[in-house]
Amino acid sequence: MNLLDIFIKSAFIENMVLAYFLGMCSYLAVSKSIKTAFGLGLAVIFVLGFTMPINWLIDTYLLNENGIISKLTGIPMDLTFLRFILFIAVIASMVQLVEMIIEKSSPALYNSLGIFLPLITVNCAILGGSLFMISREYTLPESIAFGLGGGFGWFLAIIAIAAIREKIKYSQVPDGLRGLGIAFIITGLMGMAFMSLMGIDPMALVASK
Amino acid sequence: MSLIDKLKKIEPDKKKHPLLWVLHEGISTFLYVPNHVTSSGVHVRDGMDLKRLMVFVVLALQLCYVFGAYNIGQQHFMAIGQHTGWSEALHLKIAFGLFKILPLFLVTHIVGLGLEFWFAAKRGHGIQEGFLVSGALIPLIMPPDLPLWILALAVIFAVVIGKEAFGGTGMNFINIALLTRLFVFFAYPSTISGDEVWVSGIEATTAGAAAEYSWIHTGLLNGIFDMFGWSLFDTSAQVVDGFSGATPLALAYQGGWDQVTTQYTPGQIFWGGIPGSIGETSKPLIILAALFLVFTRIASWRIMLGTLLGAIGMSLLFNLWGVTPFMQVPWMYQLIMGSFLFAAVFMATDPVTAATTLKGKWIYGILIGILGIIIRVINPAYPEGWMLAIIFMNVFAPLIDHYVIEKNIKKRLKRA
Repeated sequence: MNLLDIFIKSAFIENMVLAYFLGMCSYLAVSKSIKTAFGLGLAVIFVLGFTMPINWLIDTYLLNENGIISKLTGIPMDLTFLRFILFIAVIASMVQLVEMIIEKSSPALYNSLGIFLPLITVNCAILGGSLFMISREYTLPESIAFGLGGGFGWFLAIIAIAAIREKIKYSQVPDGLRGLGIAFIITGLMGMAFMSLMGIDPMALVASK
Repeated sequence: MSLIDKLKKIEPDKKKHPLLWVLHEGISTFLYVPNHVTSSGVHVRDGMDLKRLMVFVVLALQLCYVFGAYNIGQQHFMAIGQHTGWSEALHLKIAFGLFKILPLFLVTHIVGLGLEFWFAAKRGHGIQEGFLVSGALIPLIMPPDLPLWILALAVIFAVVIGKEAFGGTGMNFINIALLTRLFVFFAYPSTISGDEVWVSGIEATTAGAAAEYSWIHTGLLNGIFDMFGWSLFDTSAQVVDGFSGATPLALAYQGGWDQVTTQYTPGQIFWGGIPGSIGETSKPLIILAALFLVFTRIASWRIMLGTLLGAIGMSLLFNLWGVTPFMQVPWMYQLIMGSFLFAAVFMATDPVTAATTLKGKWIYGILIGILGIIIRVINPAYPEGWMLAIIFMNVFAPLIDHYVIEKNIKKRLKRA
C-alpha cells in the first residue's frame, strides 16, 4: 500500500514537472508533437525506473559508512560526497542503453528525438529523482515505485502539453509569444491545474481504516 | 430608416480609429446577423453560429441570476433572523441581492469586455462574443462579498493569460470562467473559502455580529420602501444564535450526512435556500437550464451524462470504502450538495475546452465526475472539487481527442 501511495504521489500530486519544475528543458523542447513526446516520455520512465534502484544500491552498499569499501579496507569511510558523480555515471550509461535500443527498434523516433535523447542524461528530473530518493530515505522497493511514478508523471505531463501545443498550432498567438513563450504559459496553467490534487494524502485514508 | 440602420451606415476607418471600428463592428454584428452567406460547396442546414450559441447559454443562466439575487438576500435575512420565511419581504431580499450582484456583474463586464475590445483593436480583428458567456458565468461562481478589485484582477488574468495570449475566443484550452475563479482561489483563498464568505452583509458569522448596511440600503432603498409602507432594512439587526454560515459541504466534511441534516434539510439543499456561490444553489433551475441547453443542442448531453455517471459511480465506490464520514454520504446527496450540477451543466460542457470527439466526450465527462468526487471527498485542502476537476480535465482534453482519433484511424485502416 505504501508503494502505491508513493507511486500516486510522485505521479500526480508531486509531479516532477508541474510541481517541482524539474526536467523542463526536454519537456519544452520535445513537446511539439505527441509522437516524439510519447517516445521521450517512455524513455524517461525507463531511465528513471532503472537508475533509481541502481543508485540506491550504490548509495547503500558502496558509498555508505558500512558499505563494502569500508568493510574491505577496515576503515569506516563516508564516501557519499561521490554521489553526484556516480549517479550521473549510472544515468549516462542507462541513457546510452536506451539510445541503443531506440536506434535499433525505431530509427524514425531516434531521428525525431535527435539530441534530446542523449540529453536525458542531464535531465534534472532524473538526477533530482535520485537525490529526492536519498533525502527522503526510501527503501529499495520504494525507490523503484518512486522512479516509476515520477517517470509516469513526467510522461503524462509531456504528452498533455504536446497535445495542447498541437491543438494551438494554428491559433493566432501574438508574435512575441510564439513557440517557447506560449509553452511556458501553458506549463504554468497546467501547473495550476495539477494543484487540484495537492494535499491529498492517500496514506492518511488507509491509516484511518 | 431606423436609428440602428443609420448607425450601420457610418463605419469608421479601420486604420485611423481602430478602437472605434471595433466598437462599431461589435455592436452592428450583435444587432444584425453577419450578412456573409455561403456561396458554393457544402451548405449548412442550420445557421447555428457562435452568437446564437452564446446568447442561448446566457439566456439559460437568467433564472440562476434571478434566484441568485433572491438567495443572497434570503441568506442574509436568515443570518440576522428577520423575515426568515421564504416568501416574506421579497422586496428587501431582492433589492439586497441585486445591489450585491450588480457590481460584480458590471466589474466583470467592464474589465472583460474592455480588454476584449482593446485586444481586438490592437490585433486588428473584429470583436468576438467570446466574453459574453464567460462574463455571465463569472459573477455566478463567486461568493457575494468578493472585493471588486480582486474580481477585476482575476478577470484580467483569465482573459489575458488564459485567452488572449492564445489568440482570442475559441483558442483557450482552459475554461475562462473557471480560470477566473481558480485565480481568486489560489491568490486570495480567504475571500472564497471557509464559512465566513458565503453569507453577505454581516460582519462575522458569530452570534451578535452586526449587519452591514451602506447608505444604499439605509438611505436610498429604505426611503423608497418607506413611501410604499413596506418593511425596511433594520440597522440594529444582529446575527442570531445558532447560525454558523457553514455550507453543506463543510458540514459533510466534519461529520458526514448526519452533520448536514442538523443545519439543512435535503429539500432545502435541493431547492437552493443554502449559502454558496451565487448561481450554484438552486438545483431545479439548473436542471431546467440543462434541459433547455440539451434540447436546443447547445450543450453536449454526453458530457453531462458522463459527468453524472462518473460522479454517481465514484460516490458509490466511496460508500463501499466508507472510512471517513464524508465517504458514507449517500450518492444522491453528493449530487445536490455543492456546485456539482452547475459545473456539469455550464462548465464541463464548454465546447472550446471540452473534448470534441463523441467518444472523447464520454471519457472526458466520466473522468470529471470521478475526479470531482475524489477531490471533494478526500482532499482536505479543498472543500469542493468541480472547478479543479474540470480544469484538470481541460488540460487532458486535447490528449483524449488525439487518442480517440488515432484509434479510429487505426480501426478504419484495418477495415480497408
